[in-house]
Amino acid sequence: MSGGLDWSILVKPPFGGQLADAILLTIEIALYAWTAAMLIGLMVGIGREAPSTIARFVTTAHVEIFRNIPVLVQLFFVYYVLPRLLPLQVRRELFRLGWEEISAVITLALYSSAKIAEHVRAGVNTVGRHIQRSAMATGLTWLQTQRYVVVPLLLRTIAPNLTSEFVTIFKGSSLAMMVGVTETAYVTQQLGTETFHWVEANAAGTAVYLLCAWAIAGLMSLVERRTRIPGLLRREGS
Amino acid sequence: MSPYLSTLGTLLRVLAVYNLRMTLVAIGIALPVACVFAAARLSRNWLIHAPATAYVNLLRSSPLVMIMFWVYTVGPMVTGQPNSASLSAQFALAAFEVAYFTEIIRAGLQSVALGQRNAGLATGLTPGQVMRLIILPQALRRMTPSLLTQGLIAFQDSTVASVISVPEVMQTTTVINAREQDPITLYVTLAVMFFVICYGLSKTLNRMERNARYRMGQGAH
Repeated sequence: MSGGLDWSILVKPPFGGQLADAILLTIEIALYAWTAAMLIGLMVGIGREAPSTIARFVTTAHVEIFRNIPVLVQLFFVYYVLPRLLPLQVRRELFRLGWEEISAVITLALYSSAKIAEHVRAGVNTVGRHIQRSAMATGLTWLQTQRYVVVPLLLRTIAPNLTSEFVTIFKGSSLAMMVGVTETAYVTQQLGTETFHWVEANAAGTAVYLLCAWAIAGLMSLVERRTRIPGLLRREGS
Repeated sequence: MSPYLSTLGTLLRVLAVYNLRMTLVAIGIALPVACVFAAARLSRNWLIHAPATAYVNLLRSSPLVMIMFWVYTVGPMVTGQPNSASLSAQFALAAFEVAYFTEIIRAGLQSVALGQRNAGLATGLTPGQVMRLIILPQALRRMTPSLLTQGLIAFQDSTVASVISVPEVMQTTTVINAREQDPITLYVTLAVMFFVICYGLSKTLNRMERNARYRMGQGAH
């Protein structure tokens, strides 16, 4: 270690621009993955309590498969194996579009959807059978009951769990560097390798993830407070 | 022996020698440290609980990848020793799990009602005895399932060591794939291996938990 710390390296060209792009890419991957994970997680979680045996089997398999395989193994599986099962034409198109980023989004979405589904399922059970039966007695079908009665209630009861899953997705997006996505972790390591300013590089990378995590936590607690179900969800200390 | 069986044997051996060993050592280091951190987090003294809380929040909000890089690249500047990928990964995984174990243990300790502590003190037990005879037996029983589940997550997380080129099972698969050019067979094998182990263990844990609750009767809650 000759010379001291030089923080200006983080903003000077060419690293400043690369780092900014990387942060945007991290946010982009996480947002896409979270949106997809929420949609899949909701459907799978509700499916686990569905009247149909087939739906219950398929959704249980989904949860067990994506929960019990390390996310990194899933990423390599999606990145290397999935394209091989597709025709060459499609494969070329995928790589032209940026298969690295797409496979990261797919992996994070599937992995998190399994965990979100478990929260959703717990939420469905909290909403309670009697509310569902009352809704169906008014003439709603099972699907309508889920759509208009159960989902609006359970989303608010499981909001804190969704926050932590969102943070997990942000952190997980750093694994995308393993398939060559130039996101935050990748670029900061590049910076470290090229300049040997490891402390600055690592600090910058870590700071990005910390700030994102804290921003999400703050934002979500705001949403939680605004959407709290009156009289139902008084938590201790509030 | 067919080439596939020999590859499978290699992967299983690497899984045991690197991933499993790394996980067990990390748990062995992290559990006692986490007990101390959990106690510190519950302390009323700001000087004691603030650093522990900061550690937990910091580590739980950063990706394991970044922690591995910190230890691997900045570690040698601190210790003055040449870096070792395996040791760095081992240390990073343990440090990472400390944060998660701390929260589980803290929640377990706090789940025992305050009234029981007060009742214990009122019968004349010392605070140490209350902890050992009343709170810990109940708290331990409640936190065990979460701790074991976290152990399984640590096992899955051990694959992240491949970012600093530790020759664990993920890295080994990639190396073998570079030679064999057969990603379908190799990555399917890897995924199935993890699935069988993690699914089997988590099902066993669930059954053990159910049995334990049954044996304890209705008084468990």
